[in-house]
This record gives sequence, C-alpha cells and structure tokens, in this order.
Amino acid sequence: MIQLGNSTRGALSRERDVREAYAAHSGELYGFAVRSLGDSGLAEEAVQETFVRAWRAGDRFDPKIGSLRTWLFAILRNVVIDLGRARAVRPSVAEGGVEPAVEPLDEALQAWQMEEAMRRIGEDHRRVLVETYYRGRPYAEVAGELGVPEGTVKSRVYYGLRALRVVLEEMGYED
Amino acid sequence: MKTRNECREWRELLGAYALGHLEGDERAGLEAHLEGCAGCREELAALTPVAQMLPHADPARFGPAPQPPPELGQRIAATIAAEEQRTQRRQRRRLLGGFAFGGAAAAVAAVLLLFVFGGSSDQKPVQQVRFADLPEGISIDATLEPHAYGTEIHMYVHGVPSGTLCKVWLRGPKGVSYPAGTFRYRWGDDSDAVLSSALDLSRTRAVVVDTGRRTFAAPVNSPAAALDIAHEEEPT
Repeated sequence: MIQLGNSTRGALSRERDVREAYAAHSGELYGFAVRSLGDSGLAEEAVQETFVRAWRAGDRFDPKIGSLRTWLFAILRNVVIDLGRARAVRPSVAEGGVEPAVEPLDEALQAWQMEEAMRRIGEDHRRVLVETYYRGRPYAEVAGELGVPEGTVKSRVYYGLRALRVVLEEMGYED
Repeated sequence: MKTRNECREWRELLGAYALGHLEGDERAGLEAHLEGCAGCREELAALTPVAQMLPHADPARFGPAPQPPPELGQRIAATIAAEEQRTQRRQRRRLLGGFAFGGAAAAVAAVLLLFVFGGSSDQKPVQQVRFADLPEGISIDATLEPHAYGTEIHMYVHGVPSGTLCKVWLRGPKGVSYPAGTFRYRWGDDSDAVLSSALDLSRTRAVVVDTGRRTFAAPVNSPAAALDIAHEEEPT
C-alpha cells in the first residue's frame, strides 16, 4: 500500500491537519460519495460527516496501519452506510425487511476506484481501452481511426493496463 | 534464454491477451512464449486482476469527476471549530464540579447565587455566577477564579445582537468598580471571553456587564448585597 500525504500519529487532532487532509482528499471522497449516494447534497453531508468523525477520532489514526486516505475512505464508507440506513427508514422498505446491503456499496467503491483510475491514466491509453474493451471494436478499425498500426493499439492496451495497475496501487488497491 | 527485444514484443501483447482479445497465431505464439518465460507470466499475473476489474466501471463516468463546492471545506472547518469550543466549555464545566447550567434563564425573579468548589480540597475555589432575571432569550453566565493578581473571569453571553460590545467590571465593597475589560459577542460563537480584574475574588461583591443598551449585574459572595446591586443596575 502506498502512503499518501505526510501522515503522522494523531494526524487529524488539530484543525490545521483537517484542512490539509481536506485539501488532499476531499475531491476523491466527494467523488465516491456522489457515485454511491447519487446525490450531490447527500454527498456533501457525507464528506462533512467524514471529516468531523475523523477529527473526533484523530488520535486513533495510526499511519503504521494504513494511509490517511485509506482511513478516510473507511470512515466515509460507514457514513454512507449510515446515510443509506437513514434513507431506508421508510415503511415500504421496512415491510420487506430490506437492509441496505454492504455488497452494493463495495461494488460502488470498486466501480468508483476503476473510474477514478481511468481518469488518471493518459488519454491515449484510456481511448484504446474504451474503444476495444468497452465498445468491443476490432483493433484494426480502432487503429485505422487513430492512424496508427494495429500493433500500436495492442501495445497501448498493454501500457494502459499497466498504468491502471500503478494508479490503483497508488489509490491503495491491493489484490 | 530469450532476448530482451523478443520478450518485449510478446509482452506488449499481454494486455490484449488479458482482455481475451488475442486470437489465432498471435495467441498460440504468446502462449508458447509464456510457457518458457517466467517474467512474462509474472507480468500477466499482475495485469489479470486489473482486467477483471474493468467490467465494474461505467465508461460513461470516465469524464471529469464532480468536485465538492468550494464552501464545503469552510463549512467543515466551522463545524469542527464550534465543536471544539463546545468541548472546551464542557470540560471547563466539568472542572468546575459538573454543575450544569443552561442557556435561556428560567423565569426566576430572584437573583441566583451559586458557589461551586472544586472536587478536592487542594483545588482553588471557583465561583460560578449566573445572571438571573434577564430579558427573554438572553443568558449571561460567568465563572470567577481567584489568582494572586486578582480574579480571572470567564464570561458566556448569548442572545444579545451579534457584534455587541460588552464591558465588564467587578464591583468591590463600597461600590468601587474595577475594570475587567471588554469583549465582543458574535452570533454563533460558543466560546467564553476570558477577562481579568485586579480586584480580589474575596472582596468581589458583584459582576457587572454593560451591553450598551442595558447593564446587568450578578452578585458574588453576598446574596444580600447582591440584591441591592441588581436592583440598582437593572434596566438603565
């Protein structure tokens, strides 16, 4: 796992530390909150609650266990579950006994991670992955459109996957 | 032993292979190479989980990520600052002996005088003073701590217009006033104003606060004397 930021023990116990953590991680946290809650207002609420909880528990953060980013995401995940529960407290839901499952949230996190990784790799790499994988277009056709040899499209697919791997590792992803 | 260039040619096919896009001779050739090349097998093993994660993503969401509104950070900072002040205030009250006093003063006509002493005998006696009989919506509380230099005063004001300049005095025997300083009340600010006066706490008879339009007083040490002062100082 790659450590991001200058994390030290009790990294969020002071207001200044929260500001630094916010500057470094709020974009990602917000992105995931929007992705999983599907609502920008709720997402803002979730991010705010995440930083407040992190500040309250600031002394318990230990960079030896994981990065600040990973810790914040773990808190946000709980906040999103809580918000989901709060939304689910409706008669129609209670009747069926449907508890907002953890599974879809983890799927949302995986999806968001991959989408964020895609945003971070180079345009050339993202393009060939979108065309060949997501749109299922033949390599020759994509090569013709881009004006490059077919072999170049294949090598871009390879370097694109490698780049994704590096970015995912930076984001704390582990196999 | 493979040459580095040969390996690289095969290696650059690993992406398409991991996605299941390689067919025919190319695929057969790469698989034959993989059998004899641990390095390329390792590389494939590193790419496979990434390839397996691709279906989770929605390509319609590869565009710029939504950004939090610029004021969200300030809102969080303000929330934390307010909570920190509340915590400090609670800790202070706990220190004073766990006595809880609330915001809006109950409709108590009589002036209240409260002595609160620390839990153990070696602690300095701290006096908690409540301003009673205030207009509705306004609350004023104070704690007084004795020091060698005089008295330390913590003022908690609520409900007067934001920006109100408050002047504070301690009143001694024979009505002599000792200035304790000024502070400004800001709406939403939960913190206490810390002031000090040269008058000894043991000689202090009242705390007086001038909020511009009104002057309020609360008795200290002597309930009898206090009632007089409160009467004298009420609505100007």
